[in-house]
Amino acid sequence: MRFLFDPEVNWKHPFVLLTGLTAVIASGSVVLLFLFLIVQSLPIFSAMGLEFFSGSDWIPGESYSVWPLVYGSITVTGLALVWVLPLALGSALYTSEYLPPRWRSVVKATMELLAGVPGILFGLLGVSFLAVWVQDVFGLIDGNTLLTASFLLAGMVLPTIMTLAEDALRAVPFEYREIARALGLTSSEITFGVVLPQALPGVVGAVLLGLGRAMGETVAVMLVIGGLDRLPNPWFDVTQPGQSIPSKLGREAAEALGSGLHWNALIASGLVLFLMVMVISLVGTRLLNKGNKMSREDCCGVGGGNEPSVKILVGKN
Amino acid sequence: MNRQLKDRILRWVLASSAIAGCSLLALILIAVIWRGHSAINIDFLFGAPGNFGEGGIFYQALGTLLLMLGAGVLSFPIALGSALFQTEILRPGKTAELFQLLMYSLNAVPTILFGLIGFMVFGVWLDIGVSWTTGVFILAVMISPTVQTVMRQSIEAIPEHYQETARALGLSPWQRVRAVVLPQSAYGLVTGVLLGLARAAGETAAIMFTATVFSGILFPETWTEPVLTLQTHILTLAQEAVDPNTVANAWGAGLVLIGIVFFLISLSLVIRSRLSLEADS
Repeated sequence: MRFLFDPEVNWKHPFVLLTGLTAVIASGSVVLLFLFLIVQSLPIFSAMGLEFFSGSDWIPGESYSVWPLVYGSITVTGLALVWVLPLALGSALYTSEYLPPRWRSVVKATMELLAGVPGILFGLLGVSFLAVWVQDVFGLIDGNTLLTASFLLAGMVLPTIMTLAEDALRAVPFEYREIARALGLTSSEITFGVVLPQALPGVVGAVLLGLGRAMGETVAVMLVIGGLDRLPNPWFDVTQPGQSIPSKLGREAAEALGSGLHWNALIASGLVLFLMVMVISLVGTRLLNKGNKMSREDCCGVGGGNEPSVKILVGKN
Repeated sequence: MNRQLKDRILRWVLASSAIAGCSLLALILIAVIWRGHSAINIDFLFGAPGNFGEGGIFYQALGTLLLMLGAGVLSFPIALGSALFQTEILRPGKTAELFQLLMYSLNAVPTILFGLIGFMVFGVWLDIGVSWTTGVFILAVMISPTVQTVMRQSIEAIPEHYQETARALGLSPWQRVRAVVLPQSAYGLVTGVLLGLARAAGETAAIMFTATVFSGILFPETWTEPVLTLQTHILTLAQEAVDPNTVANAWGAGLVLIGIVFFLISLSLVIRSRLSLEADS
């Protein structure tokens, strides 16, 4: 015990007991949530077996298959990432490398406000503008498609990715930039040749965290994805309606509450969503922390921290 | 292509993407104000709801504030306690890592899952059904990692020698917390709560089938009654409204909601910028 806790700690002290209790409540709730998901989804696994993952239909009362929903979730978030990545990384690089501190904090504040825009407002914007535009531009009967949802998600995760990537870029020690400047490199050469490669793990982590957030987004996606539980035909045609796991849960949870297999199937889809989001987010968090820690160690090392940047410079030119 | 020219082009490319990113916020605000301003008047803001989406949104706004404040009050002690436990009592090691991992996980959980499982735990087991109390419980769990993270960071930002001085004086953990940690991190604690409240006010998925109804009630009078909220009001109108007036009301409600959320976030930004000014001087 004394390796884990401060040895002076008096465990009988009410302060220690109370904070310990709140810590157990906070951290225990995610464990409980996970256990609940597993226990409540067991019936569907024993009823459907692997069919639950490989089938292609979701007909309440007959068969349940999570595969179209997984496909929808992955397609929508993947596409959103493609749309948002250039914009998010571009603004992160510009904010971190070019903007003076005052403007930088303005951009960061803007991103924080943008991240706070309620999901339901994105949904309202999607229904009133985006779906109509997609319908007109692609000449569709219905503007509620996988593509529409991916555009909407791109806007929603922009601030998350941008702000975290910017932090990762800022964590690269200043000596690197100074040395590169002294070697006569231009600003863009420093940005892309020195800072970005050094910050890459953190930037990838930021992107993964944004992806995790996009995957769990419910209301906005629910309003514009179309709500059709099957694979598009052909499978790559994203201008057809589809379904993602959270949107499915949001649509059907109310009517399926406690109603046998249908409810269990929804919870099992929730479990699949939980596992996907957890893997992505925890890998992202690890990369982000590792990136930030690495650059901090580099900056404190004597001289050693300067070597990598010089190597990169030599390699680039 | 010469290097200077390439540098200049890349700079413009990056600058324009930054401008595009920031103008997204402006676009959203313009769209919401453009569509919503016509609905805003005294009757709309302070009136009771009428038939489907007509009338005012006073009780919806009240419901949003009720759920938000309830969740804030419930999650404050949990977040503060666990932040103190993590910073003052846990030592770096396996337990601390595990705890941090669990907090990261809690933060990453999709909100709809809080709705699903929260309803099983609070609604069914505690037998309070679809009610505002269920919503408060669910939102409290949902925002606690946000609040806890901001609180922990502000506690960790207290200069090391303050803590060392307190230890050298032989203060107990509780005395240290009261004399050093709480006064020195007070702004950070407030910021954490504000951001948590903003998150609760903007949340829809976790409460849409666990705490709210669209009509049939004004304000809950008992523990087990559901509540009207702005978020679910907009959701229903976004799905079903066709009449232009009703649609305008949805945007008006959206304008009020975004106003509440932005007020909370801006307040936290102001507090933090003042804090960093103090740290610089």
